[in-house]
Amino acid sequence: MKALFKTLFGSTRTMAVGALALALAILVLRSPAPFLAGIILPVCLLCSAFHLARH
Amino acid sequence: MPEFGVMLATFLGASVEWVEAFTIVLAVSLSIGWPRAVTASAAALALLAVMTIAGTAVLAAIPNLVWAQGVIGVFLIFFGLRWLGKAMARSAGLKALHDEAAEFATLRANTQKADFRAAWSIAFNGTLLEGLEVWLIVVALGVHTHHTKSAAAAALAALVMVGVVGAALRRPLARVPENAIKFIVGAVLLAFGTFWVLEALGYAWPFGEAALPVLAGFYLLGGLLLTILLKPGAAARS
Repeated sequence: MKALFKTLFGSTRTMAVGALALALAILVLRSPAPFLAGIILPVCLLCSAFHLARH
Repeated sequence: MPEFGVMLATFLGASVEWVEAFTIVLAVSLSIGWPRAVTASAAALALLAVMTIAGTAVLAAIPNLVWAQGVIGVFLIFFGLRWLGKAMARSAGLKALHDEAAEFATLRANTQKADFRAAWSIAFNGTLLEGLEVWLIVVALGVHTHHTKSAAAAALAALVMVGVVGAALRRPLARVPENAIKFIVGAVLLAFGTFWVLEALGYAWPFGEAALPVLAGFYLLGGLLLTILLKPGAAARS
């Protein structure tokens, strides 16, 4: 069951950094400059992948 | 891009997973014989096929397509992040590369001690767990683009390829460039996830679906560049 959960969602760290990037993108979408979300989310996700690679 | 991207990501991702599943089945076959090991693996594949049909039906039945797109996108983001992060760590030397030969040796030692039922379970569970990632890719990428059949066909083609090569060689397929494949698939999954999540939230992508290859390229090139930054850290650790 643990292996299944990990396959579907990844580790808690993966979910945390992914959720953080998504939360930031939602904030940008609700801001006066929503067009920036298409840049902010990919950049945040790449930084998240970098963070996961380091840990 | 969608159909080609879906098929490419599925074929590559599935190849990596089937190679790992083949290593398990090969190790088990040396204990309980090929027919029994293949039966265990086939049972797991049958279960995965049922799960693919059920998963597709459930997702297709969700009336609010935007909501479904957002959920699938989030799944793909988590999945892609994990694959890309792991591939970057392995490329930089922070994590050991997956070694099929070493994996096979460990499994061989474990299955030698196991009885028939335990060895059969190892082959069944191993194929099922490796196949779950393929299932996730097929269902997540296929349903929303209406290319589930193409995605399933790509996964099956990868299975046949690994099966034929593996049966011919009868040893672990250690030469498959697993990390490079995971790098590419991770970037493609993240691209689809990013595109669909933002679209579900009401974002209008400039140039529409043409943004998909741009996103995939961004994650791929960005990941490769960041790997260079990770290398000094890896050298310091060793």
